[in-house]
Amino acid sequence: MRLRCAIPLAVLLGCAAPVYAQDQGFARSQSFLKTYCQACHQGSSPVGGFHLDRVSTPASLKAEAAKWGSMARRVHNGEMPPKGAPKPTVDELEQFSQWATQALRAAACAGGIKPGPAPIRRLNRDEYSATIRDLLDIHLDIGSALPADGGGGEGFDNAAETLFLSPIHSEKYMEAAKFATDFAAKEFKSRQKLLIAKPGPGVSEEQAARKILEALLPRAFRQPVPAADVALYVGLFNAARKQGREYEEAVFFAIRGVLVSPKFLFRVEPPNRTAAVQPVGDYQLASRLSYFLWGSMPDELLLDAAASGKLREPAVLKSLVGRMLRNDRSLGFAQRFIEQWLGTRDLVGTKKPDPKLYPMFDNDEELRSDIRLQPVLFFRELLTRDLPVLDLIDSTHTIGTSNLAKLYEVKLPVPRDASKQPRWMELPPNSNRGGILGMPAIMAVSSYPYRTSPVLRGAWILDAMLGTPPPPPPPNVPALEEAKAGAANRTMRQRLADHRANAVCASCHSRMDGLGFALENYDVIGRWRTEDAGQPIDNSGDLGPVHFKGSGELRKVLLDRKDLFVRNLTNKMLGFALGRGLTLEDSCTVDAIVEEVRNNGYRAQALVEAIVLSVPFRYQAPLPVAKPSAVPVPTKVAALQRPGERKE
Amino acid sequence: MKNRLELSRRSVLQGAGVALGLPWLEAMKAAPASAATGASANPVRMAMLYMPNGVNVPAWTPKGKGRDFELSPTLQPLAALKDRVTLFSNLWNEGAKSGDGHYVKEAAILTCTTIKKTQGADLANGISVDQLAAQRTAGQTPLPSLELGVTPVAIGVDAVVGYTRVYGSHIAWANPSTPLAREINPRSVYERLFRAASGTPVDAAKMDALLLDRVLGDAKQLRGQVGTADRIRIDEYLSVMRSLEERVQRAGSEQKSTWKPKATLDPKAAPVERPKDHAEHVRLMMDMIAVAFQTDTTRVATFMFGNSVSNISFRFLEGVSAGHHDVSHHQKEEDKLRQYHLINRWHVAQYAYLLGRLAEMKEGESTVLDNSMVMFASALSDGNSHNPHNLPIILGGRGGGRIQSGQHIVSIEDSPLANLYVSMLDAFGTPVERFADSTGPLAGLLA
Repeated sequence: MRLRCAIPLAVLLGCAAPVYAQDQGFARSQSFLKTYCQACHQGSSPVGGFHLDRVSTPASLKAEAAKWGSMARRVHNGEMPPKGAPKPTVDELEQFSQWATQALRAAACAGGIKPGPAPIRRLNRDEYSATIRDLLDIHLDIGSALPADGGGGEGFDNAAETLFLSPIHSEKYMEAAKFATDFAAKEFKSRQKLLIAKPGPGVSEEQAARKILEALLPRAFRQPVPAADVALYVGLFNAARKQGREYEEAVFFAIRGVLVSPKFLFRVEPPNRTAAVQPVGDYQLASRLSYFLWGSMPDELLLDAAASGKLREPAVLKSLVGRMLRNDRSLGFAQRFIEQWLGTRDLVGTKKPDPKLYPMFDNDEELRSDIRLQPVLFFRELLTRDLPVLDLIDSTHTIGTSNLAKLYEVKLPVPRDASKQPRWMELPPNSNRGGILGMPAIMAVSSYPYRTSPVLRGAWILDAMLGTPPPPPPPNVPALEEAKAGAANRTMRQRLADHRANAVCASCHSRMDGLGFALENYDVIGRWRTEDAGQPIDNSGDLGPVHFKGSGELRKVLLDRKDLFVRNLTNKMLGFALGRGLTLEDSCTVDAIVEEVRNNGYRAQALVEAIVLSVPFRYQAPLPVAKPSAVPVPTKVAALQRPGERKE
Repeated sequence: MKNRLELSRRSVLQGAGVALGLPWLEAMKAAPASAATGASANPVRMAMLYMPNGVNVPAWTPKGKGRDFELSPTLQPLAALKDRVTLFSNLWNEGAKSGDGHYVKEAAILTCTTIKKTQGADLANGISVDQLAAQRTAGQTPLPSLELGVTPVAIGVDAVVGYTRVYGSHIAWANPSTPLAREINPRSVYERLFRAASGTPVDAAKMDALLLDRVLGDAKQLRGQVGTADRIRIDEYLSVMRSLEERVQRAGSEQKSTWKPKATLDPKAAPVERPKDHAEHVRLMMDMIAVAFQTDTTRVATFMFGNSVSNISFRFLEGVSAGHHDVSHHQKEEDKLRQYHLINRWHVAQYAYLLGRLAEMKEGESTVLDNSMVMFASALSDGNSHNPHNLPIILGGRGGGRIQSGQHIVSIEDSPLANLYVSMLDAFGTPVERFADSTGPLAGLLA
C-alpha cells in the first residue's frame, strides 16, 4: 500500500491543461482507462492478471488503493501503456495520474488519520555510535568500523525496512563492544558513571555487580528492566568470574554483553494487541523522541518524564522540542537529515568536485568542511532560532566563514581573528546567497564533478526541493543528432536546445532545464561567474508560461510554490521521524501537519512540534491480524491532538 | 552564539572525520606453515567482479569463437592470460529485461530473478549464486564469503525510477530479502582475514561463547514478544549470531578444526585505511581477494567496482574527461565511445591484475588461478540503451581443472546466464539441478 505521491509536475508547476472537473473525475478516469488500457486488461485472461473490473467503481479507490496507486505511477512514468500501444498525450496522462493521486488521498483520509506501521528498527551506524557514546560516556566514533547503512522509505538510512543485518555486523558488534568496554574501563569519567557500587564490607561482589547492572540496563534498553532480566546479566558476570576473570573485568564483560544484546541494538516496541489504536508506551515515546531529534538514547530527563507519565502530555512534548533542539545533540539530527535530504553527503563521495579542476576543494580541508557544514548549520539555526522553513528557499542571513566569504568574493562584516568560525551573518541587500540555492555544497551535488548541468540542477530542484521528481527518461532515448561541425564551441544552452527540440525529451526537459539555467551563474563549487567558455552566461529560464532570469527570480518562483516545498519537507521529516517510508494513509497526517505549519507562519519548530504531536508519532496501530477489526479512528481535526488534549 | 556554533562545528567534524582502528595485533601468533599436500587438497574458489554501466559493445566483442578467437581492443589487458580465460556471448538474465535501466539488471546479476520494485518496504530479489555456494560450504573455511566494494552503499531512494538504492549497492544476497553489506576499507578487510585465519584463542573463544549464549537468549525472548512481521528481523539477528557462535565454538573446542591456512598472513603487510585514489583503492581490494584465496580464509568473494549508475570520475585516465555513467550514455558520439572503451579497458586491466596475482601463487603443481573461477561481468551490454542482451562476461581460471578455458563460447541468442552459474556451482563442488531460470549447464564449458 505504498504510494509515491506522483503528482504530475506540469500541473503543480502551473503549466498544464486544466484538471478533470471535480464531479466528472471518476467518469473521465474510466474513459481514459477504456481508451488506453482496455485492449489488454479485459476478458478472461487479462494481461498481467489485471482486469479493469477491479478499478471500475468509486469504492475501488479504497478497496484497491494499491492497484490504483501503481496504475497512477506507471501511467505517469510512461511504463504503461507499453511500447507499441497507443500512447496518451502528456496532458492526458498527467491529468489522469494527478486525479487518481488526489482521489486516492481523499479516499484514504475519509477514514480518519491512522498511525500506520511502526516496525522494529535496528540502530543504524550513527545511532549506534551516539548511543554507546552517551551510555558509557566515552568519546569515540565506535560505529565507524561498521558498514554504512543503505536507505529506504523517504530516503534516509534510519528506515526500518532497509536496516538488515549481515554476518559482518555480528563480528563488528562483538569487536566494537569489546573495544568500547576496554576503553571505558580506563576512562575516569566512564568509570564514575558506570561503577556506581563496589564490593566491600557488607557488599558482596555479586551485590555490587547487580547494583551496577540494575542502573545500566534500563538506560541501555531504554525502559525499565525486570529483576529477572537483570539476573541474567548478573549470571553473565558470575560466569566470567568462574572463568577466572577479576571482579572488574567480569563487570565490564557483562556490560559488553549488554552492548551486543538485541534489546540494545534494536528499538523494539511491544506490539499493540488490542483492537484499537493506542498511545505508544511512555518509554517508547521517549525513544521515538530522542532518536528523532538526537539520534541517540533518551537522557535522564526524558526517562524521568516517561516514568512520571507526563511525557505524553502535548504541552510537555511541545516544551521538550525546543529544549531538545537547543541541545548540542540536535546537531546530529540536522546533519543526518540535511545531508541525506539534500544529498550533500555525496560531497565527499561520488559528487566530489574534480580535484584537478577545483584544487581548492581538494587541498583546503577547512574550506571543504565549511562547504559541507554550511547547509547543516544553516538548517540548525532555523530550528534553534525558530525561523520560517521558507528561509531554505531564500533568506536574509546565512552561515558564513572567512573561507566561504573568499569563495563568494564578499566582505565579511566580522573581526578577522574570529572569522574562521562559522557564524550566522546578515547578507547584503540583493545578495545572491540567500537560502540553500547558491550554497556551494548544493551547487556541487547538483553538478557533474567537472561541469555544471542545468539538467541535473533542474532535476535536483524538482526532486529534493519540490518532491516532484521528473519521470524517468524513456527506455530508448533517441540519440541526439551527430555532433555538427564546430559543436565543441557551442554552449550548453545551445546543445540542450537540440535536446528540447525532440518532442519526447522536451516534455520533461523543458521543466528541468529551465530551472537549472537560472543557476548557471554558480559554478561547480558555487563561485559566482558571468561567463562560461568565453561566452556570457545566459541565466534566463522558463517554466511553462513563467519566465524568469537568474537565481533571485528563481527563488521567487519557488516561493510561489511554497506549499509544494513545505509538503515535501514535511514528507521527508515525517519519514525521518518515523524511520520508515510513508504510506498512502500517512498523506492525511501530512496534510494536517502542513496546515498547522502554515497557520504558524511556517516556523521551523512548529513543523517539528506538529510531527511530534502527530498521530503516527504518538500512537500505535493494532497488531495486524488475519482480518483487521474495526478501529475507532480519530477525526481529521484531531490529527495533532486527540480529544481531551486541546492546547490552551 | 559564536561559541555554540564553534562547539557544534567541532563535534560534527569529530563525528565525521575520525575513524577508529580496532586493535587486532595483540593476539598475533605464528600461523602454522602451509602443509603442502597433494593436488586433491586444493579447494576451488569462486569470485565475482561486477562492473557497472555496461560496455562499448563494438570495442568489447571478441572476434571468432571456440578456441579460435581474438581478444578485442577492450580485452587486450588479458593478452598474457588468453588461455586461462573463457569468454561468453549471448547470455542474459531474462528476468531483468524490463523495469528500469539499471537496478533491475544490476541487483539481479548473480540472482537471475526479477527484483521487486520498492522503496525499501518489501525488498525482494533471489539468493545469489555466490551465497548459495558459500552456504553449502559453510564451516569449511573461517569466513564463508567476502563482500567487497570501493564505494559506500548509495544512500536513499532513486525517486525517478522508484527503487531503493539498496538494490544498486548489493550483488550478494543471502536470501531474497537480505543483501550482504560490503566492506570497503582495505585495512579492515586485511585485519578481518588475519583475525579469521589466526583463530580465536581458546580462552577468548569460551568467553565469546558465554556472551553469545546470553544475547541469543535475549533474542529468543524478544522473538516471542513481537509481531510476525518483526520476527524476520529477530530471525536475521539469530541467524548471524548463531553462525558466529558456531565459529566460536569450533575455535573453543579442544579438538582442533581441520582447517589450516595455506599461507600465512604478515600483520605488518596490512594496507592503508584510506587509499589515495580510486585506482589504488581497487588494486588493494584485488589484493585482498588474492590474499583471501591464497590463505584459503574464504573461497567465495564478490566485488563491486561501483554501485549501480556509478558516476565515479575517470578523469584520472588519460583521455577521459567525464564520469562513468555520464560516458556510458554516449549517444553514439565518437568521443564518448572512445572514453567509454578506455574506462571499460581499465576495469579489464584491474581484473587481469587479479588473475595475474592468482597465477603467481603456487599451489603444489598448480596455481591458485588454476583452482579458481573469477568472473567479470556487467549487467548491461550497451549502457546507452540499457541493453540487457548479450552480457559482457568473462570467466578466469580453470576451476580446479573442470573449466575448459581458452575459448570464446558463443551460445544461442538469449541463453540463460543462470546456466553458467549451474556449471560454476558444479565445478565448485556444490552441484544443483537448477538455478533460477536455468535450463541446464552451459554447453561447452566443463570438461
